[in-house]
Amino acid sequence: MKLISLLLLAALSAPATTFYVTISGLGGEPDYEQRFKMWAEDIDSSLKRAGGDSNVVTLVAPTREQIRARFAEIAQQAKPTDALVVMLIGHGSFDGVDYKFNIPGPDITGAELAGLLDRVPATRQLVVNMTSSSGGSIEALRRPTRVVIAATKTGTEKNATVFARYWAEALRDPAADVDKNEAISALEAFQYAQHKTSDFYESQKRLATEHAVLEDTGKGEGERVPSAENGEGKLAATFPVVRLGANAAAARDPSKRPLLEKKEQLEQAIDKLKYEKAAMPADAYKKQLMQLLLELARTQEALEK
Amino acid sequence: MIRLSAIALLLASLLPAQTLEQAEAFWKARRFQEANDVFRALVAQHPDNPDYKVRWGRLYLDHSQPDIAVDLFNEALELKKDHAGALLGLALVAAEDFESVAAGLAHKALASDPKLAEAQELLASLALEDNDTAKAVEEANKALAMDAHSVEGRAILATVDWLADKKDTAFDPHAARGYETAGHFFVINRRYEEGVQYYRKAIELDPQLYSARSQLGINLMRLGQDEEAYTQLETCYNNGFQDAATRNSLKLLDSYKKFDTVRTGLIILKLDKKEEELLRPYFELEMERVIATYEKKYRIKLEKPVRVEVYPDHEDFAVRALGMPGLGALGVTFTSAAYGSFIAMDSPSGRPPGSFHWASTLWHEMSHVFTLTLTDSHVPRWFTEGLAVHEETAVSPEWGDRLAPPVIVAIKDKKLLPVAELDRGFVHPTGAEQVVVSYFQAGRICDYINDKWGWDTLLAMLRDFGHDDDTATVIRKELKMEPAEFDKQFVAFVEGGTKNVVDHFDEWAKRLKQVDELAKKKDYDGVIEEGAAIRDMYPDYVEAGSVYEFLASAYLAKDDKPAATAELERYVKAGGRNPDSIKLLAKQLEDAGRKKEAADALARLNYIYPMDNDQHQRLGALWMDAGDVAGAIREFRAVLAHNPIDPARSHYDLARAYQLNHEPEQAKEELLAALETAPGYRPAQKLLLELTTTEAK
Repeated sequence: MKLISLLLLAALSAPATTFYVTISGLGGEPDYEQRFKMWAEDIDSSLKRAGGDSNVVTLVAPTREQIRARFAEIAQQAKPTDALVVMLIGHGSFDGVDYKFNIPGPDITGAELAGLLDRVPATRQLVVNMTSSSGGSIEALRRPTRVVIAATKTGTEKNATVFARYWAEALRDPAADVDKNEAISALEAFQYAQHKTSDFYESQKRLATEHAVLEDTGKGEGERVPSAENGEGKLAATFPVVRLGANAAAARDPSKRPLLEKKEQLEQAIDKLKYEKAAMPADAYKKQLMQLLLELARTQEALEK
Repeated sequence: MIRLSAIALLLASLLPAQTLEQAEAFWKARRFQEANDVFRALVAQHPDNPDYKVRWGRLYLDHSQPDIAVDLFNEALELKKDHAGALLGLALVAAEDFESVAAGLAHKALASDPKLAEAQELLASLALEDNDTAKAVEEANKALAMDAHSVEGRAILATVDWLADKKDTAFDPHAARGYETAGHFFVINRRYEEGVQYYRKAIELDPQLYSARSQLGINLMRLGQDEEAYTQLETCYNNGFQDAATRNSLKLLDSYKKFDTVRTGLIILKLDKKEEELLRPYFELEMERVIATYEKKYRIKLEKPVRVEVYPDHEDFAVRALGMPGLGALGVTFTSAAYGSFIAMDSPSGRPPGSFHWASTLWHEMSHVFTLTLTDSHVPRWFTEGLAVHEETAVSPEWGDRLAPPVIVAIKDKKLLPVAELDRGFVHPTGAEQVVVSYFQAGRICDYINDKWGWDTLLAMLRDFGHDDDTATVIRKELKMEPAEFDKQFVAFVEGGTKNVVDHFDEWAKRLKQVDELAKKKDYDGVIEEGAAIRDMYPDYVEAGSVYEFLASAYLAKDDKPAATAELERYVKAGGRNPDSIKLLAKQLEDAGRKKEAADALARLNYIYPMDNDQHQRLGALWMDAGDVAGAIREFRAVLAHNPIDPARSHYDLARAYQLNHEPEQAKEELLAALETAPGYRPAQKLLLELTTTEAK
């Protein structure tokens, strides 16, 4: 909560742009071609509908040169305060050393993609590689300020994936916004898609052939369950992929600054209380939580007047 | 005797060259590995001797490795095509699996060696498994004529008496294997407690008869006596008796720590911890409904508890149901006067969505609880199954199984069994399809009797069976006709009711393929024309690729929503269970403002696949709209019980339902949970303020 409020305040002083690049690769057969294109278009329309300061590009079955050209353009436009989100949909392969994303003409390797991303000045970056074998790309793509999500845990999970279908769904489903802050973070979208992917295999009575992971420390292998214990997910939790609401409008009104600050303090107090929950008597915790939540609700009400 | 065996064994160990006697001595001493080594050497030395292969095969059969035994018996038959021992070996393997070919093989063995008493014993056993007592007695007497010391022959004759509740018999085998045989027959007649007693007698006489000890363990497990079951099975395992049933049962008992057992009155539910919170309300509600209904119908009050075990892993359920012949296996019931009844069934999560109606299975199995209790387990298989199938449709016309293609073929080819022999279709079916046909036939017989003579006649028949009357006697007594006459009238009833389908089945199957082709080509007008023409030729067909679903898709593609809705309504009324199609119907109805019907459509899914959170969420909202707050609370609780994607929303929805149900404290609890997850969640904040303000006033 604290970070969200900080982001809102930051937006007042230096509006940042998020550059979105969605690429669907080669399907190999009509069914996959259609499916990959459909998911890419689904993502494209969610991003465009969300509006805001964004630059949305969707490439369907581009060549390596077309991809390079697009990233070169973004590298020229983007500033360090901006964000970059890259989403890859399709088939991938991994030979034990190199990951390759299947596109018309020569495939593009994980290392090449990493090189293209490194040239974009936007500090905060998110790569969502939803192809088969995408786990094989983590090592090449990971950086300290970059969130990397892969549909498969390793390069050896070679079957076609369904993670992209549910990632696309996450970007348009308000249910993905678990903390109800009117923005779907990379972590929330990851958890939503992971949950739905798991449900898919379970309901079909099929052995899951993909296990999505998230890496945002720049040095990990990717975790199925990002948590404070394994150190993963911190950056992803504060990386908004899409914004759903209009909370930002209130933040632009200087007369409401004191209320916003109070709200931020209350949110911090709630976070702190939740952290202390295990060490407190249940009744005392509930009582204090209720008081803080009521105060927060009243503050929010005042903000909306 | 023991001394002689010990000497034989000592000699076997000392003999330098392998002999058949040496192998048999090791085998008798249960030194299977050494016996196997000797047999291997013997067969290598004498590759053209079929006798060695047959005895080696029997060793494998005794060691619960029937696949290898079958290979050896077949190799022996290649050397001598009418080898009696090899034919008998194959017959024994088939009999273990309740395959109908067993009798034919035993007859062939006898034709090859008319003095082979073991083949004659097998024929007696097979007849008794079919509940053909007269034939069993005749075959057992033949076996005793061949071998006056035949333990199995005496055991069959004794079992006939014991099953008829005659305690004194002239044929008591006084042998462990004889009591093991009796145990087997009590178990397949669902008289588990008595089966357990005979297995106990068997191992008292021969503690090393591990096949009987293992069955004792398995049947104790069926009666909920898990602790002793584990001890008996573990003893078998530790002594080298490790057949699949023993191994798997031990594994299953180990897995019970994943389950929780909850009791409400006579209802005991054993549910996987991961599913308990979600499934418990639905199962409890249905159990209360079914017990109330059946107590009225069967005119008895249940006095012993009923434990329902629900297995999310189908393999666990299969182990639990193990050993039941001809089990189509959706559920299984064990009853006992001392311990009550036990139902084991798949969880709705244990099968692909749409393939399993758990509530129908529960009503089916609960019907067994009542019929077995009422008759003290003296009801023939066909009648208890028939009533159970009848009950599925009696509770709801949509629930029962549909007229399946194998049944249509059986009716067309006049393959329905005479009523007096219908048990054979369950116990020794000619194939999996005959089991399906037998369930259908038994169910339709009960429907027919109910329609023509009334429910009281079915109850009177049940009581007659309880007095151990056989099927022919009961038919004569209650229906006042000979079984053959009943068969004639019943077949006319079935043929009359299915004529349209039977006459058009081949044409329907051919034209359904054309509908499929037209759908692939997106020729929606063609689908509608052809689909509408053939739909009513076989209206019961609601499986994958049903005409109803083809038509609904075609109508939607042409934006004719009312027609699509009407088609999907026909589909669910005909018993369609595809969750996607039912959800589509609910959506169409909701979009058309028919919210109550949309809720009813989704409520059907709770009986089929209640594992889908979106469905509970939508149903909860629809119940809220319809003012059914209790229904809404149940659905929103179901969402929360199943690891929701959006817990804040789910707690908030439940809070709203509690608020409407005038339960402000519960509502506040849920809001607290919603806001703990998402403190800035505006709808929850607003409701919390509203509740607090109301409270302050």
